[in-house]
Amino acid sequence: MANNEAVNKTMKLLSEAKLEKYQVISNKSKNTEMVVERGEISLLRTTTDVNLQITAVNKNKKARINTNKTDDSAIEEAIKNVQELLETSEVDEAYDISPFQETKQFESGDKEPSKEDMYNLITRFIEAVKLEYPKLNISESSLTFNFAEVNLVNSNGVKYLQTKGIYSFYVVFTAKDGNKVSSMNFASFSMGNLEKDLLDTATLRTLIKENIEQLKTKPINEKFVGDVLITPDYLGELIDAFAAIGLSDGSIISETSVLKDSIGETIASSKLTIHSNPRSKHICDGYSITADGFEARDLTILENGVLKSHLLGLYGAKKTGRERAENSGGAYIVDAGDISYNDIIKKVKKGILLARFSGGSPSSNGDVSGVAKNSYYIEDGKVQYPISETMIAGNIYDMFKNIKEISSEQVNFGKTIMPWILTSGVTISGK
Amino acid sequence: MLQLNRFAKHFSNYTELRMQENKNMSIRFLNSNLVENEKKSTSGVSSRVFNSGSWGFASNPEINDVSIIETIKLANENAQFLSRKCKKSNKIYEGPAFTHSLDLGTDKNRISQKGMMNFVKEIDNYIEKKFTDLITRTVLLNFLGMDKTILTSVGSAKHSLWPRTMIIVKLGVDKNGEPISAYELFGGRGHFEDLFSKPSDLFEDIDKLYTHLKNKSEGVYAEAGEKEVILDADLAGILAHEAIGHTTEADIVLGGSIAADYIDKKVSSSLITLTDYAHSYNGVLCPTPIYVDDEGTKAEDVVIIEDGILKEFMHNKETAATFDTIAKGNARAYQYFDEPLVRMRNTAIQPGKSKLKDMIASIEDGYYFMRSGNGQADSTSEFMFAVTVGYEIKNGKLARGIRDTTIAGLAFDVLKSATMVSDDMVWGCGGMCGKKQIIPVGMGGPAIKCRINVGGK
Repeated sequence: MANNEAVNKTMKLLSEAKLEKYQVISNKSKNTEMVVERGEISLLRTTTDVNLQITAVNKNKKARINTNKTDDSAIEEAIKNVQELLETSEVDEAYDISPFQETKQFESGDKEPSKEDMYNLITRFIEAVKLEYPKLNISESSLTFNFAEVNLVNSNGVKYLQTKGIYSFYVVFTAKDGNKVSSMNFASFSMGNLEKDLLDTATLRTLIKENIEQLKTKPINEKFVGDVLITPDYLGELIDAFAAIGLSDGSIISETSVLKDSIGETIASSKLTIHSNPRSKHICDGYSITADGFEARDLTILENGVLKSHLLGLYGAKKTGRERAENSGGAYIVDAGDISYNDIIKKVKKGILLARFSGGSPSSNGDVSGVAKNSYYIEDGKVQYPISETMIAGNIYDMFKNIKEISSEQVNFGKTIMPWILTSGVTISGK
Repeated sequence: MLQLNRFAKHFSNYTELRMQENKNMSIRFLNSNLVENEKKSTSGVSSRVFNSGSWGFASNPEINDVSIIETIKLANENAQFLSRKCKKSNKIYEGPAFTHSLDLGTDKNRISQKGMMNFVKEIDNYIEKKFTDLITRTVLLNFLGMDKTILTSVGSAKHSLWPRTMIIVKLGVDKNGEPISAYELFGGRGHFEDLFSKPSDLFEDIDKLYTHLKNKSEGVYAEAGEKEVILDADLAGILAHEAIGHTTEADIVLGGSIAADYIDKKVSSSLITLTDYAHSYNGVLCPTPIYVDDEGTKAEDVVIIEDGILKEFMHNKETAATFDTIAKGNARAYQYFDEPLVRMRNTAIQPGKSKLKDMIASIEDGYYFMRSGNGQADSTSEFMFAVTVGYEIKNGKLARGIRDTTIAGLAFDVLKSATMVSDDMVWGCGGMCGKKQIIPVGMGGPAIKCRINVGGK
């Protein structure tokens, strides 16, 4: 059944079931993926899937069903199931669906991939790596084109259609020289088209060069509190963690967020501004509608260190009596600073360049500890050597407060745009 | 199986055909609020074809004669697309045909959705009434069921139904403005009816969780540096899986893992024997029993380390051919639209002869780490695990609780430092491994005494 037909059929049956409020999202997707294993293209994979999600609110009870079948009997069964779940649900006045908004369509990207172009791009990457970086092993890699058509309709009259085609690439690699093996690293990014060579996209070439250098590492033989220069590759993960423990529905509802009452307060260095811009023309892999039925809009989370917005969805906002965010988070852009990366390095007396972090999920209070991977020791304004077996312990909120510099260079990963940031006060302990 | 046999006439190269349905259900209470009440079903058909050294894969959510034939055809076309571009000499291990059927579904009368909701609510009510100083509590009931039917052109066939039901309880207190939390998992392989009888059966363990949480909140940060520690079964299991297991998956070995050069070499203390069990340990079913994998290969145990010597890697059909060995059933896929990857099944260190109390008594100044958070490992065998529940050991006795910390090290070095292995065996019930896809896994083991880097303050 066509995507819109399934949605219309579902809406009709929900109406006949006389439920008070309901929302239907149909997400029909097609993936074309080329997988690289051990330095050659090993698999071509084409998959199609559909997800029909039905959310119903009745007598202040809520339930949700997801199915990937859209024939008449499957839809009828899904509605029966959602009614059964509603019966067993709990009363909560915060359950709701989005109010009426103007009908809109959003389109971005290609509708079909060119398999030939995908093959040629990834082959050029493999050949360039073999030629320029013979010690590098591509352990695993894939280039994917995903086309998704999302229909979102609800009983308040909301009708959104979003179609999006996007290419994404990821690669996991290690260097090997004799019996020496470097710590594995990875890169991933999204692309609106296939015009640019993969090796020259985002930070991939730098990460590969560094990985080969990392065949020879040294542990830091001491423990000290020092500076940490966070690369764009890791900064995105750090902001995801910050959002999860401090800004999300769960952290605010459970009151475990230390930022729950901090809107309008300075919580970070005045140098730090973070946007969540899923509609930005610079973010090729953004989104136009939220899962709870709103048109997504760009928002600023943190402006010059002042907290401007949590990331509450409709339920979290109603539950806590706070403001709903304009989007569902992600698509983070950190504003650039006014000093070059090279000049930041010169300012570091003693610390590390943190390129990847293997650590536990941060505690609600922001504490985080783990291993600095694919990272470098910095002393007296110079990057000294790649490090191994080095643990770091710090606090995310303190890291954001202690920011000393933000680079003027930014890296666009398609989903995020990140600079380098220099912070301090992190415990760095070697073996 | 009979259903799929009808399509064997459409196989022209080495071909796998799989029908699969995954079912999920979750009920989550957060501070009395029902924040999740969902069911999900994902099903479809997929086919994978090997042609002149290249693989083609295709899938379709529709399951009918036309879609199945189209899926096989598209998988063939995809393999042909690559093989036309580049002829490769890659081979696959085909192995003998094997047929098996496994249904781990419950025989009991099914409990209604309302019954399960009431069960979870009763646990939540118990916690709310008994522990009044909590700032947050989460009770989550989570179900995953995987139903697979597979046919290969070699003639292997299987049907398997594997359910897993877990209840996860997470509690949090405030300590001087800092939220401190801890969690516990209950349940494991099986439907709800086979695992849970009445909510009060869980209360004693929830009380213990609360005690650990209070000890943690009153506790201290671990001291950073290399320490003598005891890793309880939960952490020994994740060490076996993350730090050793992944480095010995043959696809990772071919991708540059340090373990590539270690076969038949001493990689750990001779107290250590580490096995990826196919389906049973000592005659008892493991958490994720596999008799035939998703490539149709008969599953057997893989002894990775035997008495400290690295013996075997884990293979799929292609890596087995590359290493000129046999595959033992490690290829698995998560969803119908996923291709099989080299995966662990039930990975554990075998129990030793020491008593846990003697192991604790033997440490003058160290730590007893009991409960892990997430874990990651590297091709170098360098690993990191979060520790969410643990205690100091001072003069052979458990002392203060510790706050969240992280442990790290080179796994082979850590296992070389093992001096005692306990005589008990505990399987974890909630393992989910992330590679390109997620997949449920079993992991477990005894407690191990070793030296490890602790990332405290």
